[in-house]
Amino acid sequence: MADALLQVEGLHAGYEGQNVLNDITFDVPKGQLITLLGPNGHGKTTLLRCISGLVKPTKGTITFDGQRIDGMEAEKIVSRGVVMIPQGDMLFPEMSVYDNLRMGAYLKQASAKFEQNVEEIYTLLPRLKERTSQMARTLSGGERRMLAIGRGLLAGGDILMLDEPSLGLAPIVIDQIYEIIKDLKKQGRTLLLVEENASRIIDLAEQIHLVDTGTIVWHGGGKELESNPQVLETYLGG
Amino acid sequence: MDFFVQIIVSGLTFSAMYALAAVGLVLVWGAFNMLNMAHGIIMTLGAYFVLMWAELAGLPLILAAPVAMICGGLMGAFVYFASAHWMIKQRDFETTIIIATFGLGMAMEAGLLKLLAELFHSSPYAQPLSMGADSFLVAGVPVSYQRIIIWGAALILILILAAFLKRTSFGRAIRAVAQNSDAARLMGVRVRNVYIAVLALASALAGVSGIMLSSFKEVHPLMGGALMLKAFIVIVLAGLGNLTGALYAALLIGMVEATVKVLIADQYGFTAILILVILALIWKPAGIFGRSTVARQ
Amino acid sequence: MALFWKHRDFVIFAILLGVALAFPFMGIPRFILAAVLIMYCYATVVSQWNLVFGLAGIFSLAQVAIFAFGAYSTALLGRYLEMNLWYSFPIAGLGGILFSFLIGLACLRLRGIYVALLTLAVSQMMFVLIQTDAACSALNKAINPMSCVSFTGGSQGLGDFGSFGWRAVLGGRNWMTGDYYTMLGLLVIGLIVTYLITQSRMGLAFRALRDNEELARSRGISQYKYQLLVFGASAFLTAAAGGFYAAHFGAVGINLFGFPLLLFLISMLVVGGIGRLWGPLLGAALLMSADEVFKEFSDWRNVGLGIVVLLFMIFLPDGLAGGIDKLHKLAVRVFTRARTA
Repeated sequence: MADALLQVEGLHAGYEGQNVLNDITFDVPKGQLITLLGPNGHGKTTLLRCISGLVKPTKGTITFDGQRIDGMEAEKIVSRGVVMIPQGDMLFPEMSVYDNLRMGAYLKQASAKFEQNVEEIYTLLPRLKERTSQMARTLSGGERRMLAIGRGLLAGGDILMLDEPSLGLAPIVIDQIYEIIKDLKKQGRTLLLVEENASRIIDLAEQIHLVDTGTIVWHGGGKELESNPQVLETYLGG
Repeated sequence: MDFFVQIIVSGLTFSAMYALAAVGLVLVWGAFNMLNMAHGIIMTLGAYFVLMWAELAGLPLILAAPVAMICGGLMGAFVYFASAHWMIKQRDFETTIIIATFGLGMAMEAGLLKLLAELFHSSPYAQPLSMGADSFLVAGVPVSYQRIIIWGAALILILILAAFLKRTSFGRAIRAVAQNSDAARLMGVRVRNVYIAVLALASALAGVSGIMLSSFKEVHPLMGGALMLKAFIVIVLAGLGNLTGALYAALLIGMVEATVKVLIADQYGFTAILILVILALIWKPAGIFGRSTVARQ
Repeated sequence: MALFWKHRDFVIFAILLGVALAFPFMGIPRFILAAVLIMYCYATVVSQWNLVFGLAGIFSLAQVAIFAFGAYSTALLGRYLEMNLWYSFPIAGLGGILFSFLIGLACLRLRGIYVALLTLAVSQMMFVLIQTDAACSALNKAINPMSCVSFTGGSQGLGDFGSFGWRAVLGGRNWMTGDYYTMLGLLVIGLIVTYLITQSRMGLAFRALRDNEELARSRGISQYKYQLLVFGASAFLTAAAGGFYAAHFGAVGINLFGFPLLLFLISMLVVGGIGRLWGPLLGAALLMSADEVFKEFSDWRNVGLGIVVLLFMIFLPDGLAGGIDKLHKLAVRVFTRARTA
């Protein structure tokens, strides 16, 4: 595919000699929403950490916008436009909501447009505006997730990777989060989404990659997945 | 009544020096769990830099202090590249860096002794920034102008530091690294620059603290050791990584030390604060000043 | 070769012990004999430190203070109670246990870093207390009415408290040989204790804790209890070594609490290899030899030691013993690959 923004090829990774990822290959075309689907503990998070540079791959290549980024430091990779919203939010707990958002726009290109962009974030996520001077650690689970998303959006990357954005949230908050994801997709942003739950993304994603024990075992569109009960049952327990 | 004033006057002076020495240790610990055992020799060097710039290079005194502070900062960067830079990925970094910087600090101290024998022939030396015993009376107790300057300088430097950490983008980055370094990297913060910066900052403040100490006694190659240990005691009492706690702890320890020195005897000051800290740790192992404001728990 | 590697600890021990026993009869100059016996003393302390730090994982910097505590206890008992030093060694050892329990109770439940800082502060406190102890003591007036010596001797140090007593047995020319075998005996006990503790249930417990803390805890292994035990056991021999040191020199001084001695002993530990059985002996032997060889550069001694410690922590944090193990593993791998190829 010529218009792939992010390409992962033959990627292996692991911790202390234990392989977590085995020969992962997929790509993310510009403007699409791609999902990595699969049960917890099967390497999806490690995969995102590899792409964002927090974990070094042991083998394979990651190409972004035509240039290799595997093995680069995380802080370099984000400055190229690969932004991750990590699992568990990873907020700065002893900073205000506003300061957390400002950290999102830490890089030069983003900080110049911060004042203007933060207003957009506040319209998208009005809860944050109410809480702007509150410490991040005092937020509720849903608010934390909103803040993590807002902070990631302010970095203004070309691709946004979301690691389990619905994890641990009440259904009503999950609905809100997916409204936001739909909005982002409408704006034409490139998204890479890690999910455990198939139901939310089946109508949303252009491509779904099923990850099981560190490898991609199946891939295809949402409709194909729905019409493939065998795959659903084997890998996602129905 | 007058010994009460006396305790406050000398306690505040101890507190000022301990606070400046300790906030840097807190920042460095917060950023990457490093305890720098060469902190003491950098305090000593701060005092000597004034001496060198003023006596050997003939710089006016008003410039010698800030220049010495900058030199102290450079020593912090030197410590980073001589030790932590190569070890940061080690499994037991927290432990190995203590041993490594202990070795580095001892080597620097011994080297300094040797160098001083060549440069100044005699040591100890009088601190040129010292204003002597000129003083005015408060409730019958003489308060020297030297102390007023020390209190003022410590207060101003800490306010500047607080403003830097709170209001500037790089200051926020330092706090971010302390709170979650992976998240900070995901925001594009170059953590290595933060490590160097906090070590430089800590060392510059340590240098000032050394200048303050030497303005009371004299410039002596071994003067930093005890001051460093007291700064360690301050951050242990506050709970490692707790910046505002360290300021309170510096105030408390300075006052306790002054009380013991004024009411009992000079040599029991250190013993008293050590026993205080050990009791405090048995009572509250995470430090007595509650939650941290800078670093992870 | 493989057989040797399997039983290497016993083989090395037997060879070294043989050489050490024969050493005084090899026509060695006295000053070398004196240096070697001090090396035994330091090696004992470092081997006990290795138990505390390398096996039990207690990052204590108080080992040198416990050593000095033993030396001073022996000196004070000998001087003021006129106690035969052979009785005062075990008392000093017991005092060392008590001392270490106090430190241990105060800080072993805390994170490793706190232990390092507090133990260092305790050493410094003792240094300051003895250094500033200047009031003439009535006890010393009783010994010599003309002099003014404080109870601990202050910054001057303390002498006149007796010796091992070999001079009376072996005569003025051979007393050093008596001191030599005494120190050797202490070192051998130290090494055997180290070995036994490492191989015991306690040693196993520590390795289990190191490998998987949660699992070990769930099986009811209490780190705190074992740590306190090791801390106390090693303090006994460390303090006794301090007593032997005092008995050999016939004087104790404030420098026993100082940073330079701490640096010297820590460099032995680091160069030899933290957590390795032979590390302390290897480190002590190498650094004592280096100390003798570079005597004329003694002004630069602490510069050199400091840099050695720094470089080892950067490049060889497992020390030479760890390096040898790595080389051996590498050699085995290369050898087997060559054979299968």
